Amino acid sequence: MSQPSHDDHHDDHGHQSRFIQHHYDDAQHQFDSGKLGIWFFLVQEILFFSALFVAYILYRHHHPEIYAYAHHYLDVKWGAINTAVLIVSSLSAAWAVRCAQLAQRRGLIACLVITIVCALGFLGIKTVEYSHKVHEHILWGKYFDPCVASAGNHLLNKGNNCPGVKTSVVWDGKAGKAKSGCLEGDYDQRPAEPGIQGKCEVVEVVGANRRPIEACEEAPGKSGGHGKPAKFPCYELALNPHVCPAGPAAMVLYGDHGHHGGAIEVKCEAVPAPAAPADAFADPTHAPSTGERTFAQQKPKSKHELAHEFASGPPPEHTNMFFSIYFAMTGLHGIHVLVGVFVFIWLLWRAIRGDFTPDYFGPVDYAALYWHLVDLIWIFLFPLLYLIH
Amino acid sequence: MSAAVDTNASYLTATRGWKSWAYTLDHKRIGMMYLFGILGALLLGGAFALLVRMELWSPGQTIAGKDAYNKFFTLHGAVMVFLVIIPGLPAALGNMILPIQLGAPDVAFPKLNLTSFYLWVIGALLLLVAVFTGGLDTGWTFYTPYSLQSQTAVIPAVLGAFVLGFSSIFTGLNFLVTIHKFRPKAMGWFQMPLNLWALYSTALMQVLATPVLGITLLLLFVERFMHIGIFDPNLGGDPVLFQHFFWFYSHPAVYIMIVPAMGVISEITTTFSRKPIFGYRFIAYSSIALALFSFLVWGHHMFVSGQSKLANMVFSALTFSVGIPSAIKVFNWVSTLYKGDIRLQTPMLYALSFLIMFTIGGLTGIFLAILSIDVQLHDTYFVVAHFHYVMMGSTLVAFVAALHYWWPKVTGKMYPERPAQVAAVGVFIGFNLTFLPQFVMGSRGMPRRYWDYDPEFQIFHRLSTVGAFLLGLSLFGVVCYLMWSLKYGTKAPQNPWGGTTLEWDAPTPPTVFNFPEPPEIHELYNYDDLEELPEGGWVRKPSTGAKSSSGH
Ligand code: HEM
Ligand SMILES: [Cu+2]
Repeated sequence: MSQPSHDDHHDDHGHQSRFIQHHYDDAQHQFDSGKLGIWFFLVQEILFFSALFVAYILYRHHHPEIYAYAHHYLDVKWGAINTAVLIVSSLSAAWAVRCAQLAQRRGLIACLVITIVCALGFLGIKTVEYSHKVHEHILWGKYFDPCVASAGNHLLNKGNNCPGVKTSVVWDGKAGKAKSGCLEGDYDQRPAEPGIQGKCEVVEVVGANRRPIEACEEAPGKSGGHGKPAKFPCYELALNPHVCPAGPAAMVLYGDHGHHGGAIEVKCEAVPAPAAPADAFADPTHAPSTGERTFAQQKPKSKHELAHEFASGPPPEHTNMFFSIYFAMTGLHGIHVLVGVFVFIWLLWRAIRGDFTPDYFGPVDYAALYWHLVDLIWIFLFPLLYLIH
Repeated sequence: MSAAVDTNASYLTATRGWKSWAYTLDHKRIGMMYLFGILGALLLGGAFALLVRMELWSPGQTIAGKDAYNKFFTLHGAVMVFLVIIPGLPAALGNMILPIQLGAPDVAFPKLNLTSFYLWVIGALLLLVAVFTGGLDTGWTFYTPYSLQSQTAVIPAVLGAFVLGFSSIFTGLNFLVTIHKFRPKAMGWFQMPLNLWALYSTALMQVLATPVLGITLLLLFVERFMHIGIFDPNLGGDPVLFQHFFWFYSHPAVYIMIVPAMGVISEITTTFSRKPIFGYRFIAYSSIALALFSFLVWGHHMFVSGQSKLANMVFSALTFSVGIPSAIKVFNWVSTLYKGDIRLQTPMLYALSFLIMFTIGGLTGIFLAILSIDVQLHDTYFVVAHFHYVMMGSTLVAFVAALHYWWPKVTGKMYPERPAQVAAVGVFIGFNLTFLPQFVMGSRGMPRRYWDYDPEFQIFHRLSTVGAFLLGLSLFGVVCYLMWSLKYGTKAPQNPWGGTTLEWDAPTPPTVFNFPEPPEIHELYNYDDLEELPEGGWVRKPSTGAKSSSGH
């Protein structure tokens, strides 16, 4: 006589672990069912992310220039560190499964702790990255407004580090002009050299006090223009006319001390205008709308400089879309990491309680599988977003 | 569950009190709760449908203005699709029957099952929030860019549909694992009842398609209040991409609706013809084929959305191919009826209605798949009639058929046969009266989703409205006598219809773990094993048990 494979379900099987539910035949049956379930769940997750990958591919196909330009805003260093962090956590998650199988409770606890720490580390780094972007208004869709953190030009050259920037230009994207910071009206020419020594007088006004602020100088010993300014507060001029069509912006850099919260007054002396048009890549929609403005061009640009200018010049139209996709993908991924943290904390609590035994370690296994998928998705995201060439 | 519970008692009475329901892990109770929720949603969706039909009684304003009309049809569609038709067969009736048909004590993940149910409740509440905070006027399709601008309650509605999507995913996942891991050894894949094949195929689509709806709605949600721009042309986004994503889910979704209906119809036609199903394997494979094809045809909803000609042609051709597995099933059912000993009890009346209405619905789908014709018919009442023939005329009718078929098993009470037959005829006539005229006016140019129309269409609209009220009345009658039967119905025998699948070997109503003893596996659809009792119901002939099970 044929019998269903599951035997009589409502009597006691003498299960080893009290976590084997009554409707399963035995521990193996429960484990296998859970495993199949988690695999289907992962398939579901892949499809959940897939639409974002499709959106990425479509926009990249239609607008490669946006991707080529915008990825400069991302910091490969942080991305790479995060990749490493996640890979380590995946390893420790896999190791946790092994420990659970072998009934090594201490090992299991250690591995879970490592996994949690790495996951939190990942989120911490992501928070640092996000807060830079929030600060620089390099945000998604409607809120993409990089002029706010002074000119993209400068930021890009500096590898996207803006040490100590506390006050910067506030750019009103709707009105198409600066609310504050971008110099308007009387300043319509570019200083001879981009960077530090614009012929400007920048004064901070606090009440009746006027404190002059000097141009920033590199701290001695730092090379390549990437160091911190030697003095605080100091100002730099942001020179990208395309993001600040009303004119170059003064970006005042503050140190940790010395910020008085005063208004910034900037007066600049006109520099004789050279003839050559600045930028072959100028985008008419971002070009200044009033007045004629030309910019100094001492010598013809090298190819390299041109390429650089392309990357650091005016953002192509709808650069915001890159950040929409960036935030959608990394945000959704980040939520998954966060969920993972909670899951692993729960597992840690259960591991400390001693729930897991060689015939009951399913949850550790399933969580690890989930974690590998989260890791894998990041391994796709990192090159797709950070390593574009 | 505590040890005090008598697991050999009926699942309905083994434990008592509302908490024993609210926290239950029993798939039958969860299915029951779904059933009541879904019937409630059906009433709500039906009320909106009747409001739509009332507005269309005469040209110009009849009962409400155009804005209200837009909300009526949107809420009707959203409630019916997301709350009724998609969960109806799998989550409510599938939940009750699937483990029993497998001879299993429960689904693989009972807690997840309960979670799915509460997600359904949350989704339903969110939709209700939308109803009461300004309604919704985007159409059930939420097309961008309008859905980004509409002043109505898009956010709660989108969130609701999102949550309902996860309810559906988890149900599908649960069923897949249950069928894989809880199938008795004696029941190979091809000894599974066709209803299980259908639920398996449905579950596959639920797990593979719904996440895409999930992310799409999530993006729409984020778009609404964070202006992320992915679907917003003002920010450089692509509104047509939304349509692609939406239909990548929603075309499979129409198969999520129809395939379980086909499973039910397979069971009912063979049982009430007293004849083995014709072409078992063809029906089983065609369920899987439908699941696979369903992912390849979404573009037929976008023939006039500016797709490339090539894409249009490919999608058109692929759409034709969907007709093949559908037609295979219809031919098999008809062949099953042929020379059968047909019993016209209520489930069978609905099954026969299904056969007629699904044929009409499917064939008109083929019309719409023809590019040159769709340019004419797209966004007309012809499309409305097409999808109502498949969604309502087929899926909802199959749902009602299944409800009558399994009602005695899961409640232990017979419904009253005569009123039920009258209602079934009422549903058939009401339905066709409602939707046949819509084919005519659609092909003559009456656009869908319009609150006003040229007087030449009035006769069709009036017929349609009369039909809708007949249909509504009949269905309301069904709900009434079913509720009545819970208290006053006669006691149901263990096997009232002479079915051969395992649920008929379980006690009526089933015990807590469905079977007091693990059931024997009999040959499927072998009606010679059974004999009819004079007092009603069927039993296995004493000699046959051992013989048939040794056949495996
Ligand atoms: C033989 C199978 C089928 C074929 C060839 C088919 C074909 C089509 C086509 C080409 C359209 C697009 C018409 C247009 O918008 O211009 C359509 C619309 C639709 N079909 Fe089908 N269909 C089939 C079966 C079904 C089934 C089984 C269902 C549901 C249970 C269904 C539900 C719908 C719905 C809901 C729409 C319209 C959605 C909307 O725009 O709101 N179809 N069908
Ligand atoms: Cu379709």
